[in-house]
Amino acid sequence: MYYKTIKKNEVGRFLDGLLAEYTVVAPVRKNGVVGFDAIQSGEEAILDFSNTTASPKGVLMPQLETLLSARAGEEEAVEHTGMRKPVVLFGARPCDARAFMFLDRVFNDGIARDVYYGNRRDALLIVSLGCTRTRDTCFCTTTGGGPLSTQGSDAMLVEQGDGYTVHVITAGGAELMNSRGLSDAHEGVGEEIRKLALQITAEIDPPVDLSELKTSLDNSFDTAAWQTLTEKCLSCGVCTYLCPTCHCFDIADEDNIGVKVRNRIWDSCQFPGFTMQASGFNPRPTYRERHRQRIMHKFSYCDDNHHMTGCVGCGRCVLECPVNLDIRRVLGSFRGRNGG
Amino acid sequence: MNPTDCSNRIAEEAGRLLTEGTVDVVIGFEKGSLPMRSTPCFVRTPQDSGKLVWNSFCSSNLSRYLKQFPGKVGIVAKGCDTRALVELIKEKQVNRESLVVIGVPCRGMIDGAGVLERCDGKRVSDVEERDDELVITGDSFRITLARGDFLHPACRVCFTGNPVLFDVLIGEKVQEQARDCYHDVSDFESRSPGDRWAYIMSEMDRCIRCYACRNACPLCYCGECFADATRPQWVGRGATGTDTLAFHVMRSMHLAGRCVECGACRAACPTKVDIRTLNRKISSDIARLFDYRPGLRIDQPAPLSSFKPDDSEEFILER
Amino acid sequence: MDSSHDGWEPRIIAFLCNWCSYAGADLAGVGRLQYPASIRIIRVPCSGRISPFFILSAFRKGADGVLVSGCHPGDCHYISGNYSARRKFALLKGLLEHVGLEEGRVHFTWISASEGGKFADVIGRVTETVRGLGPANQLVGKQWRA
Repeated sequence: MYYKTIKKNEVGRFLDGLLAEYTVVAPVRKNGVVGFDAIQSGEEAILDFSNTTASPKGVLMPQLETLLSARAGEEEAVEHTGMRKPVVLFGARPCDARAFMFLDRVFNDGIARDVYYGNRRDALLIVSLGCTRTRDTCFCTTTGGGPLSTQGSDAMLVEQGDGYTVHVITAGGAELMNSRGLSDAHEGVGEEIRKLALQITAEIDPPVDLSELKTSLDNSFDTAAWQTLTEKCLSCGVCTYLCPTCHCFDIADEDNIGVKVRNRIWDSCQFPGFTMQASGFNPRPTYRERHRQRIMHKFSYCDDNHHMTGCVGCGRCVLECPVNLDIRRVLGSFRGRNGG
Repeated sequence: MNPTDCSNRIAEEAGRLLTEGTVDVVIGFEKGSLPMRSTPCFVRTPQDSGKLVWNSFCSSNLSRYLKQFPGKVGIVAKGCDTRALVELIKEKQVNRESLVVIGVPCRGMIDGAGVLERCDGKRVSDVEERDDELVITGDSFRITLARGDFLHPACRVCFTGNPVLFDVLIGEKVQEQARDCYHDVSDFESRSPGDRWAYIMSEMDRCIRCYACRNACPLCYCGECFADATRPQWVGRGATGTDTLAFHVMRSMHLAGRCVECGACRAACPTKVDIRTLNRKISSDIARLFDYRPGLRIDQPAPLSSFKPDDSEEFILER
Repeated sequence: MDSSHDGWEPRIIAFLCNWCSYAGADLAGVGRLQYPASIRIIRVPCSGRISPFFILSAFRKGADGVLVSGCHPGDCHYISGNYSARRKFALLKGLLEHVGLEEGRVHFTWISASEGGKFADVIGRVTETVRGLGPANQLVGKQWRA
């Protein structure tokens, strides 16, 4: 763990250097929307943004991923399980970096390894961009993260003056930062960053006790309040698709013009068809059951299954929900409840 | 009428309807959890009617919720919302007799995201609406913006700010903008096909297939949407440019003659895809070819459920 | 658009209504009229049965062109099916052109049961138009291309 430094106007060139060996996925602005995309040159990346609309989870779990494909006339189907070329995810916020730690627990928990996710993960290095400003939708501290948290990152940039202090965290991060012409940071920068973290954290609403909340939720499965709390929900997929920890998927077989493919595509527990059974029965027929599922999964079941809350407090669902169904308000009505 | 007076009048009206038992629930808006957001709310008791607000951030089309409320319903509706009501009544999805429409004349809704961008990411603590201005106060700043610069795209071309159907009208009618401005469509069509294709595909590439557009639309009420059907499968479900285009083309064809251009779709879209270009093209053709505009009169048959013997054949290769 | 694709022949899906256009095609056959072997006919009861989905699906599956043909207005076996079709297709054609789909890929005609000659002519015209445009790939996703 050590610190280097880079000037803002050197970042483009630094990324150009990385591009020689890695695919670099960085924040870019297209038609007014900021999102992660593979860049062809360092100058495309922007670091002057609050957070991207969609999370960077697509780097490990693309919206559509072909698992198998077969062409007419060929004997064997092709399994797309090959090793991946190295990728650097550059500029993800600490909440998003932390979300990859959660996804690792789902897709590679030591017992079962999803080969598609796993191969991409093995090839990924994450250089995050620490938060020196927050949005009024941020609640990372509640979920165990923080604006300058290093969890999940191989290196982290922290804006200081006209440049960034580069906190080199893992061996992978060192590989990226060494021998690329970055200067060493000055003495005491670690302490400066710790102080900065406290300052920024004060901008965020104080953390809520999630284990207390879990108990309350576990006792409230059948409460009538779910109906009124969720009745404006549109059952679209905005919250789940933008979420850095949501990971539900469907397997879709399609064929066309002599090619058959088996794709993995994103799915959402908010879609009505998500739990539709072949008989036509749907155990989650309305927004009430589906939205309850979302809350319970993230703030109770994930703790049970993965020993980590299924939310990193990035606030995208709060910001982008078309009807402003605020997850914090839903949770707030369960705090201090004893069920019923 | 300024937002505060509007809100009070709506709350009064809702309280009265609930007290008298004329309706079981009033669908309206309450203050959102973020600046420049209002959020749908469902008021069931007179005491709760005080929650109801009205301002320039009420962009959702509340008609979308009617099907989840059987029984007698009050609904707060701006111009475009009432046009959706007309279509829903025409399609027998909603009973006129069980509705009390609290109509609110509208000068257009503000796109809060656009305002936030102008504030450079600084936190906003208060927004005051003053006639044609927005006064934004926040983290050590205060700016005044011209309302007209921040309207949702659908509102810029709206010609029905006044409710077309209502039982109660809140405040005075507003001056309507010029009618039937489809310049955006003709401007787009003056570009070369290659240019248009490139634009459309770059918009489609931004779509993540979250279906917020479809689910926010009051006229998209099918029990099973074609996009979710697997036998047969009409469109792939992945967010690939061509499948996404097929989804939006088909959805806009399904909305042909029914889309009231409320813009709820675009307002709901998290990546701001220009979906409306398709609906605008169809609306413009329907206006030109069949002299019809959706959602204005219950007694006007829908254009795709009717025909004239001398309908245009300009597109036919051989007659 | 360059039309010199070696060995490529346009593949055009023709949706023909059973009572008029399909019968017209049949008449062309009976009369031994020559027309390009580029079309694959899908017989439907009425042009009003044709959903815009069919047309889009044809392109998604690699068709180079689509022809839709029904009874002349006023002659529909089901009275008004083709009137509905006329409105629907006017809008669909406009929309497809609006998004920049190459003009000349989709065609609509009225061909009656007695118009065998017209049928052969139409197929000839449509085939040449589509041949001039080359293979269609705008609506074929990247994952399907060779």
